[in-house]
Amino acid sequence: MLGFFHGGKETPRLGTLRQLSLFATLSRPELRVVDGLLHERRFLKGEVIFDEGEEGQVLHIVITGRVLICRQGEPETGRITDIEAGVVFGELALLDDAPRAAQARAAEDCVLASLSRADFESLLDTHAVIASKIALQLARQLGRQLRERTQAAERKPL
Amino acid sequence: MNAQGPASAGTSRYLSTGPLVWVATLVCTTLLLAMLKQALWLVVPFLLAIILYYALFPAVRRLTLAGVEREIAAAIVAGTFFVAAVAALVPTLPWIAAQAMSSEEAVYRYLAGGRVLVDRTLITLESQFGFLKRMDFHAEMGRKIDEVAGSYVQDHLTEALLGVAAWLPSLLLAPFLAFFFLRDGRRFLKFLGAAVPNAYFERTLYMIEQVDATARAYFQGLLKLTVLDAVCLALGLTAIGMPAPFALGLMAAVLAWVPFIGSVIACVIVVLVAATDFPADPWVVYAAIGLFLVVRLLDDFVFMPLTVGRSLHMHPLPTVLLIFVGGAVAGIPGLILVLPLAGVVMVVAGTIGGIVNNPRLRARHRFAGTLQARRVTADLHS
Repeated sequence: MLGFFHGGKETPRLGTLRQLSLFATLSRPELRVVDGLLHERRFLKGEVIFDEGEEGQVLHIVITGRVLICRQGEPETGRITDIEAGVVFGELALLDDAPRAAQARAAEDCVLASLSRADFESLLDTHAVIASKIALQLARQLGRQLRERTQAAERKPL
Repeated sequence: MNAQGPASAGTSRYLSTGPLVWVATLVCTTLLLAMLKQALWLVVPFLLAIILYYALFPAVRRLTLAGVEREIAAAIVAGTFFVAAVAALVPTLPWIAAQAMSSEEAVYRYLAGGRVLVDRTLITLESQFGFLKRMDFHAEMGRKIDEVAGSYVQDHLTEALLGVAAWLPSLLLAPFLAFFFLRDGRRFLKFLGAAVPNAYFERTLYMIEQVDATARAYFQGLLKLTVLDAVCLALGLTAIGMPAPFALGLMAAVLAWVPFIGSVIACVIVVLVAATDFPADPWVVYAAIGLFLVVRLLDDFVFMPLTVGRSLHMHPLPTVLLIFVGGAVAGIPGLILVLPLAGVVMVVAGTIGGIVNNPRLRARHRFAGTLQARRVTADLHS
């Protein structure tokens, strides 16, 4: 009976969210719940998104544009990785209280969707299924990153 | 969301503390109370709506958990509450109307009952202590009470009753406001967050969450405390044989929302009822006073730590100071509002203090402004 209240057409916004790996496994009603929690932020090329050592409260997802992760104040020489559209960064803020491990800057003009730790925790309380699907995708992404870094370290000549 | 939620407010690296933040909290709370005093007709229903919001919020959350959209869940919960409230009020309307018609007469009757109790107590004291009899204590006190209370009651009673009647229509706003809080609260938070520059966004988001957690812990704790107080008082009043124990218990528990004086006023009302309804049995009055003392002690040492607790994370000294300021600036609504308001102002002042004391954040904001200015003026230089 509660299904009666669901439905509605998929908006372009929900279509965009569905393209993101983090939300790929969510149904349309679940996506709508998550959409209500996301904050959209726009950054200009070169703008700092967060600094190394800062207390992280939110996870960011790149909707459009590209984000550079680098050592603090070294965007040219201290490049760590580039984050493309559809990818999540700053996800450790959701998992622990540790300070940010690197600086994030907008490599191009970009639009980010941000999810706060408090909202993620309330999601765990109210919509455990959604939260577990997101947490599983996060774990997959962290595993992938760990595997890539291990392989990169193995390729390095001794 | 538990009552300990805002605990991190006191420990976060995001919130600045210190004498300046405390002074800012005190000054801003006082100014806000002075402003709110000018719009009390709106503040009281607004306050009730906030209490209703936090009371109904768990039901909305349960429905959203079951898969209902937030808007529809808010409509269902607020609608159900409204229908239940109307259904509960309709059968009592004739009784309320009769009470309203005879309210002035009833007040005089209970005051007369109280006067008889005072007279009897003074006569007993005179018979026990000879020096009081020699002073003609009973007659002297009787004259003083007649002079002060008699003229004061005659001058102000009708005015006070009319004032209460004039307030009632504005209270109907409360359920409507609560419905919109339930439906659009999240949208409003996003709207607020969107207005903040990127550099300050995370801190502002954290501040909004802390404000919500502080208010939630305080008001949900207050509601639990009210239920516990009402049940204990009702059971106690039933045990000593008072009439309408549940109505009196609920009235006393709601009056306890006013710090310090609320409990005293509730105790005086119950004593007047006991003295009027049991004129020949002063032990009912003494038992009622004893019951209020016991419930007060239970409140302070058992119920408060379990419910409201230290949800506002304030030292007792500024808390007492703020209560006096609230009462002086905005009267009884000020007494009720001052603590939650100060809790919210403290989080906001702490966040602003944290931003002002962080040159890196300010530099990032200026840098973003420079990038924006360069972007919009790029073609003007060519």
